Amino acid sequence: MTIEGDQNVPVLWRLRDDAELGFWFLADAAAVDYGVGEHLEVVYHLYSDRHPSWLRVRARVDRSNPHLPTITGLWEGATFHEREMYDMMGIVFDGNRDLRRIFMSPDYRSFPQRKDFLLPDDASDSPAAGVNPLERPETWDLARLEGER
Amino acid sequence: MTTEPQIRDPLEIERSEEARLRTAAGLPPVARSGEFAGFESVGLPDRPPQTDREREVYTLDEGEMLVNMGPQHPATHGVMRLVIKVRGEIVVDIDPVLGYLHRGIEKLCENATYTTVMTYVDPMDYLSAMHNEHAPAIAFEKLYGIKAPRRAEYIRALVVELNRVFSHGLMMGFQALDMGGLTPILMSFINRDEVVDLLSAISGQRMLFNFFRVGGVNFDVNDEFISRLSTWRAGVLKNVEMNERILTDNEIFRGRTIGMGVLSGKEAISLGVTGPSLRASGVPFDVRKAHPYCIYPELEFDVITQPGGDVYSRYLQRVAELKQSIHLIDQIVDKMPHGPVQAQVPGIIRPRPGRAYAAVESPRGLYSVYAISDGGPNPYRFRMRDPSFISLQAIPKLMPGRLIADTMAVMASFDPVMGGVDK
Repeated sequence: MTIEGDQNVPVLWRLRDDAELGFWFLADAAAVDYGVGEHLEVVYHLYSDRHPSWLRVRARVDRSNPHLPTITGLWEGATFHEREMYDMMGIVFDGNRDLRRIFMSPDYRSFPQRKDFLLPDDASDSPAAGVNPLERPETWDLARLEGER
Repeated sequence: MTTEPQIRDPLEIERSEEARLRTAAGLPPVARSGEFAGFESVGLPDRPPQTDREREVYTLDEGEMLVNMGPQHPATHGVMRLVIKVRGEIVVDIDPVLGYLHRGIEKLCENATYTTVMTYVDPMDYLSAMHNEHAPAIAFEKLYGIKAPRRAEYIRALVVELNRVFSHGLMMGFQALDMGGLTPILMSFINRDEVVDLLSAISGQRMLFNFFRVGGVNFDVNDEFISRLSTWRAGVLKNVEMNERILTDNEIFRGRTIGMGVLSGKEAISLGVTGPSLRASGVPFDVRKAHPYCIYPELEFDVITQPGGDVYSRYLQRVAELKQSIHLIDQIVDKMPHGPVQAQVPGIIRPRPGRAYAAVESPRGLYSVYAISDGGPNPYRFRMRDPSFISLQAIPKLMPGRLIADTMAVMASFDPVMGGVDK
């Protein structure tokens, strides 16, 4: 099931609370990067007792403006999923109260799981050698650190 | 002429003394009530808070202070830091800080071939390495469109249930250890060593087994292994029952765990808690039944639940599931068919472009893998959902109003493994 990014809350809400659908459990929320010039995608996996399979909801996110409404109002446990997606892919979930880095340190500035972030081993001999990893300094206030340098 | 005795506010004396001591120790002065306290009190360079939640945790009221538990704390089951806001001995708020063990396994797997992914996922949740391999094996088989032979499926079920036995056995020991009891962990490790000997006999490794292959398993089991297994089966409950005798009816253990950290079923679902911790809250959700994989439809077992939802229920749940796993092992050995253990697959697997999702029931809950193939020799996207990572979110919900010492009891009852949490 593929939806537009900003439709995620109404769609998932309907899937969860509709008596016939009854997808009460959020099994997984993952982000996928389709590369430079393409789009990002947030993939939710849901479970329902009434259906024999996992339901996959793919929400499309624009790569240049990666904003998506949060689903922490539906499942509180999505907080860590969204923090991880923000940390690794740089997707900003509007409305999440705790959207900060979870694995990397707070002053880290790249998003390591995007496809244009290369591993050090590969970077030297890849055609993209010398390309800087994506940096988004607006994600937190670096003005102070800049001043100290 | 008598002089009037000077009466001073004892609290003020304490405060001025505290200020003097803090200055002498080179610490920053105490923040005023209701003010953002900064990160220096937990040993980090100061910076502005990034989120509302962070501001909330680091804002101190009168009489509150921030304490670091970890990262090198024995009760956090690995390297994790809990920033605990305390008022005296009472926990007001908890903020788990993760990432000390982050290795970027997902990214590494995206740069590895489908076969070598199996070696990367082992050290994630190192107490359930077999389950870690099981989910990618199923996902890659779905992508590649093959099925493992039936004997391989039985061997898979056998090794994951053996793994579950020692993982739940260790949880019993760690639960007691984190609350100050030293004996059960010794029994647990004897129990674990026996299982690990069996698993090393079958896979050649003691901890990071690297046993699963796309389309089968690495080695077949022979009659000698089956006879060793039956010897182990005869004596396995000895250590477990000794632990049970020490813990289950122990008055101190019961006093500290019953009614502690009660998680309702509704909260647990909302927080994404899975596995034994969810079932201990009365929700009968077990991936082996809910969405059967491997040979579980052919085995007879019921989903065990506990009504309580407290630390004691989670402990009882682990014990009950340990015994259930032993019965499952009996059934698997009885029914095991003959035949090959590995399907024909090429050395370098190149599945057709597509997506696959596979979930297994690991000892800590729903462990799932989402793999995307673009037709190349390595997965385009490889995503792992680790149950202990998500379960950790329950701890800040359960702890406010409890004592610091009970934090460990509640932590241990969710049985988190930091290798899995930090990926």
